[in-house]
Amino acid sequence: MRTFILRRLIYAIPTLIGVSIITFAIVRLSPGDPIRLYTFGARDITNEDIEALRRVYGLDKAMPLQYIDWLSRVVRLDFGQSFIYHKDAGSLILEILPNTLQLAVVSLVLQILIGVPLGVVAALKRGSWVDGLVRVFGVAGHAIPAFWLGLVLIIVFAVQLRLLPSQGMLTVGRDQWDLFDRLKHMLLPAFVLSLTGIANYSRILRTETLDVLGQDFVRTAHAKGLHERTVVFVHALRNALIPVVTALGGILAALVGGALVVETVFSWPGIGRFTFAAAIAKDYPIIQAGTMIASVLLVVSYLLRDIAYAVVDPRIKVR
Amino acid sequence: MTMTQARTRRALMAVFAASVLVATACGQGGPSASQEPAASASAAASEKPQDGGRVIEATISDIATMQPILVNDTASGRVTGLLYDVLIQVDAKTGEPKPNLATFSVSQDGLTYTFEINAKANWSDGKPVIAQDYLTGVQAVGKSAKTVRKSSYQDVQGFNDYKDGKAQTIEGIKIDSSNPKKFTVTMAKVSCPALLDIANTYRILPTHVFGKYLTATSKPEDIDNAPENTNPQVVDGPFTFSEWRKGDQVILKKNPNYWNGAPHLDEYVYKVVANTAAVTAGLKTGEITFGTIAARDLADMQTVDSVKITKYPSLGYTFIGWDTQSNVAGVALADKRVRQALAYGLDMDAVIKAVVFNEAVAHVAHHVAVQWAYPQDTSALNPYKFDKAKAQSLLTEAGWVKGADGILAKDGKKFTLTISTNSGNTERETLAQVAADQYKQLGIDAKAAPEAFQGLVTKLTSGDKTLDATIIGWSLGSEPDPYQIWHSSQIPDPAKNVTGFGFTYFKDPAMDKAIEEGRNPSNGDCSLAARRKNYDTFNKVLNEQQPYNFGYVPNVLAVSSKTLQNFNPAPFSTVYNVQDWWIKK
Amino acid sequence: MATTTATLRGTVADTLVRPSRSLWSNAWWKLRHDRLTIAAFCMLALLVALSLAADLFADNVFNYSFSRQDLLHTYEKPTFSNLAYLLGTDEIGRSQVVRLLYGGRVSLGVGFVAALVNLTIGVTVGLAAGYFRGLVDDVFTLFVTTLNSIPTLFLLLIIAAIWQPGPFTLTVVIGALFWTGISLFTRGQTFALREREFVVAAKTIGARDRRIMFRHILPNILPLIFVLAAIDIGAIILAESALSFLGLGILPPTPSWGNMLTGATQYFVRAPFLVYPPGVMIFLTVLSLYLIGDGLRDALDPRIRG
Repeated sequence: MRTFILRRLIYAIPTLIGVSIITFAIVRLSPGDPIRLYTFGARDITNEDIEALRRVYGLDKAMPLQYIDWLSRVVRLDFGQSFIYHKDAGSLILEILPNTLQLAVVSLVLQILIGVPLGVVAALKRGSWVDGLVRVFGVAGHAIPAFWLGLVLIIVFAVQLRLLPSQGMLTVGRDQWDLFDRLKHMLLPAFVLSLTGIANYSRILRTETLDVLGQDFVRTAHAKGLHERTVVFVHALRNALIPVVTALGGILAALVGGALVVETVFSWPGIGRFTFAAAIAKDYPIIQAGTMIASVLLVVSYLLRDIAYAVVDPRIKVR
Repeated sequence: MTMTQARTRRALMAVFAASVLVATACGQGGPSASQEPAASASAAASEKPQDGGRVIEATISDIATMQPILVNDTASGRVTGLLYDVLIQVDAKTGEPKPNLATFSVSQDGLTYTFEINAKANWSDGKPVIAQDYLTGVQAVGKSAKTVRKSSYQDVQGFNDYKDGKAQTIEGIKIDSSNPKKFTVTMAKVSCPALLDIANTYRILPTHVFGKYLTATSKPEDIDNAPENTNPQVVDGPFTFSEWRKGDQVILKKNPNYWNGAPHLDEYVYKVVANTAAVTAGLKTGEITFGTIAARDLADMQTVDSVKITKYPSLGYTFIGWDTQSNVAGVALADKRVRQALAYGLDMDAVIKAVVFNEAVAHVAHHVAVQWAYPQDTSALNPYKFDKAKAQSLLTEAGWVKGADGILAKDGKKFTLTISTNSGNTERETLAQVAADQYKQLGIDAKAAPEAFQGLVTKLTSGDKTLDATIIGWSLGSEPDPYQIWHSSQIPDPAKNVTGFGFTYFKDPAMDKAIEEGRNPSNGDCSLAARRKNYDTFNKVLNEQQPYNFGYVPNVLAVSSKTLQNFNPAPFSTVYNVQDWWIKK
Repeated sequence: MATTTATLRGTVADTLVRPSRSLWSNAWWKLRHDRLTIAAFCMLALLVALSLAADLFADNVFNYSFSRQDLLHTYEKPTFSNLAYLLGTDEIGRSQVVRLLYGGRVSLGVGFVAALVNLTIGVTVGLAAGYFRGLVDDVFTLFVTTLNSIPTLFLLLIIAAIWQPGPFTLTVVIGALFWTGISLFTRGQTFALREREFVVAAKTIGARDRRIMFRHILPNILPLIFVLAAIDIGAIILAESALSFLGLGILPPTPSWGNMLTGATQYFVRAPFLVYPPGVMIFLTVLSLYLIGDGLRDALDPRIRG
């Protein structure tokens, strides 16, 4: 196991370097001048001032030099000063990261809490309308545009039913630690994020449960006096572990990407929205930091998934 | 169904029921009410202000900093302005300079300004605000690498030497030895905008906090990255800083030691919301105490009982800028008659009605009516009332004749006009469309072309000649000096990579002289009356030559909760009297 | 797979690669009896037809062009009295139903074209990596792993925000980002197929690599690639609509189902009826595509008996 992890970590290095090159190229080769954009309203600012600012941010050097400069600092975890916030871009992103992580965690919980039972029920009721519905949802869940679903849910739950808030993380005046308030705000965006996961898991669990149901050992266990339900649940869940863990990888990518859109619709202050706003304002250090950190997160989560995969050894799968 | 199936079903129903319960329980709190609920107000308006309460202002973008010298966006400006007070202010309705933290006077030769800080002015930790604090602010600007304010002090004697590291002090700023609250600032040359540039600012920093970043051995990063920039504990404004939840909100608490009288409000919250719709929605539900709305939401807002709407002209205008050297349409736009025809040929009243629901006033020169620089004799300006026939005849006079296809042509070249504007701004997109439609009727092959703001800004400031006409807006400040926009030195040069705001490529020697005299008068007279004379000439030239179609000055529609008292926003400032605001419970 | 028959014929004729009848006719039979997939196909065909006929509808039925504004009739509620107001009007008085029809053109157009770019890149690269192996494959793996390490939608949105490309460039960019899945699949299949007798045989008689890849291996993978293609188009349509929603993809006045919702955050309180139609259209389109993909996959799966 240890060599496995070590090997994966070493392989991750060239990947991350590749990511850094792509990130840097996308940002720095883009048209437009961030300094000009930034100083657009400043009265009487002279061209010399603008050139001076350019020098301060290191934007006057040749591109490869800028890259090497940036990379050497990134390795020391110095992502450069944000043009707009005048603070280290990396620490800004890390400050906001927990907000997105909260959303991701709640979303994952919802995916499993809703997806797994749905799949099991569908299998148990194979052929019924419940089954049909779940199967359709298994495909339809991927086809619903997340931003649109968010809007519809806001209309229904926030505007018409007034049950849940429509945006933000906390109500004004409530304390940071008011978990109830925070959960209220998190429910809708986390649900939207969890949709594809729910669709996936319901499908997987349905297949696995059906599989298990058709096995001989079920009848044997039944004959032995064990409850069919227990047998089904335990074995189906166990067998489903592998595909579920596999599905996790794709879901994590979807979470980071989808989070951006959902965060925008719900005004959730997460790194997706933050990096996006920085992209529009051409705040290079934040865009670079945000993309790098998102990629690192993804690589780490793939690694975790693979470790989990190895742990959930096929030999455990009961047939 | 089997036992198992039945039990599973029951289990699932239980889970479902539980989750519904949880969801509704969470929702029992009702819509997020943020202020004290407005209980049945005792009928007679009690005149005595009540203490307590919270004001929530909404913003679309988060603040970036609370360091006065680094502020460069509206959001940061608003919050920093509530923490740090300005040395002198401008009258909220007329824009004329008035004392605030300090009184001011100017010497006979116009070169030396004398300021005396109010005896009561002090920092939130009790220490008095002294002249040294002003000097600290200027030094901070000089030492900083990231500020965009250096040009504000460029005419102060000794400032350039200080900022270039050639001197350790700024010789133009002298503190009175007998009165630490009194000081003079001497300029290298007479500069009328200087008074507001150097004094209508909150760049006065507590020396006992920031002095350590500005020693002889300090580096620019010291002041630029100082932790007090994002956590200011010593301030002199009506509010003190409490908390900044990034991306979400900034919380300010009242400063009980505020020299101008402690505010009645307990808290001022600056909350980030998604977009203008969220602002409008928040105003209706009372989650947001005050804000502005777009003209198209006015009718809807007028049906809401709990709010009050105040209208006043904004300090700026939306216009169509003609690129007289554009590759395609330049041949037409370079001719004054064509530009005048484009003014006569646009039914501005219809446009204002269609685009901003009549909440605007047509505009025909640079300065806006609320500014003191605006011509007092308005009959001197041509209002360019809609006159299609006149437009047509001017075009004919300029040599543009309708061809067989109905499009105007001259010397074989057709009059094609592309009106660009930034996408995402419905008002401007509509304006572009309406203008294009109207110009089509004159025989111009006109069309609207929205594009991304960033790209548009770059094109404009670099003088890109692929642009024919651009719809954009200017937000004017308290200082009416139009040098940066209209002086010929500010015309960009794409060949030499020089950028500037004079993207119309229009210049006029009489206009240049008027601008220069209004800015650095040869007779040293910076009185409002003398400057206005110059600006009269300046506005006349623009009115006649129409390098822009000056479009309109939109009204600001300020909406506030009826519980908020003493809220009187004006063109030059909304929060000038924030210490007098109070919430009626 | 029943490629043995094809192999014999291929070796003899050297130019013909005819698939075995049993797999194909089997698949076709299954498809014809898969009602869900047929329904999905019909839905998609209907949507495409409506989009193509947008001009006809706009001119003859609704008498309203997609960019025509009417500031006196903004936020009109859906009504039958004026056909142009069938689905209401938006914040500047444009007809929703007309824009919905034209929006289909953009969304479907971008979807198909970008998917084409995707497929071209993905299949070519995958074939090369799977066939040549060695260094080519190593470079491929490194590149694909790197690309996969950045969340795709995130990357697309950031690129769009920074570069603000026009519609054509954008389509190409989307095409250039979503191909990794297809290439990985193609590579895997190529790995398996290159060891087969018909490839070895072709090599023996001196067929060039390119010919082997495109004339022998590719046709066997093609049907499965169509499955991926269907899903790919769906994913692209979702991505483009998200982009347009954020104000970065297709810019108004050109309507796209996504940008018809850009203003939704402004008007969803006043006019919720404007929010539902574009989303429903996106959903139906993507759903049909996914169902078609699913159906094709089931049809081609030899394990599933018809």
